[in-house]
Amino acid sequence: MTINQISDVEFGEELPVFTPDTSLDNVRRFATAAGWAGPRFTDHEAARAEGLPGALVPGIMSQGFLAAMIHRWAPESRIEKVDTVFRAPVIVDQPYTISGVVTDIDEETETVEIDLTVNNEAGETRVFGTATVRIATPA
Amino acid sequence: MILDLHTHSIKSDDGRAKVPNYCQWIRAREIPIDGFVLTEHRQFDAESDYSSLAAKFDLCILKASEVETEYGHVLVFGVTDALLSAFDFGDIHLPLKRVVEACAAHGAVPVPCHPGRKRVGMQAHVGEFGVPEGIRIVEIYNGGSRDQEDQIAQTMANELGYLGIGGSDAHIVSHIGRCATRFPGPIGNTAELVEALRAEDFEALTFRT
Repeated sequence: MTINQISDVEFGEELPVFTPDTSLDNVRRFATAAGWAGPRFTDHEAARAEGLPGALVPGIMSQGFLAAMIHRWAPESRIEKVDTVFRAPVIVDQPYTISGVVTDIDEETETVEIDLTVNNEAGETRVFGTATVRIATPA
Repeated sequence: MILDLHTHSIKSDDGRAKVPNYCQWIRAREIPIDGFVLTEHRQFDAESDYSSLAAKFDLCILKASEVETEYGHVLVFGVTDALLSAFDFGDIHLPLKRVVEACAAHGAVPVPCHPGRKRVGMQAHVGEFGVPEGIRIVEIYNGGSRDQEDQIAQTMANELGYLGIGGSDAHIVSHIGRCATRFPGPIGNTAELVEALRAEDFEALTFRT
């Protein structure tokens, strides 16, 4: 179900889980477009040479995934803030799931707060944060 | 009684959870805890009064702190004005010995948290600094643990004879209650929590799936 107005939202509602495309090709495309095409984002071997476990998904790309998940759930919403804490690297070519859940609703300002979590296959949190999203009632 | 002994609110620099939302979440999702302890980073939140919130949601809400030492991060339960004067909670280079001694002098309990974590966990520093004196309890279940961090903590606790607690280390609402600690009797305030920890009769729990 997609969300069109604030009254559609319930406290504790879970957004559909989002599986991001963290393939090297996709990350390369993003990094190049964003001007972040350094080898740590585009080349596993070069990243390992820097002491990293593999090529990294850029933080701004992870934030983009979070925004994409929110807009799939509430296409007409406006994301006012995505506030992330990066606890561990998100590695290219590894599977992740992104989940979101509504943890606050303010009907007066027509905003909701969403907890966001990026987990790896072992269920470990790599990135967490919150988003403030405005879901205006259609005129 | 089950308490999540390690949580952060928006009072912590990396905390994103409002305390009322923790309460609402626990009740809405029927999280199997009876309360939680706010352990804000490098400070003690003396000003916030959560008593009405605790009453409204029938939850025990207590306050403690998480300080930083050369052995990593340490939860401090039983913070008093006298303890706040004993060392600078905001100092990120506190000597653990000083924290332990101050806790002993002022009736508080120090508990190294996520001790299996690189850099900020105790196990990473035992080789360099030796086994610290005065530690009886460590956190063996941490809701934010990755890789083998909890296993490393449990192995260390077994080898050194430490007791273990559990805490979610929640920084966002939906992470509260992932790990917790079960006590045999009721706990209604900080003094009772300190007494229960000193009685050394508790069990670390994890609800992580």
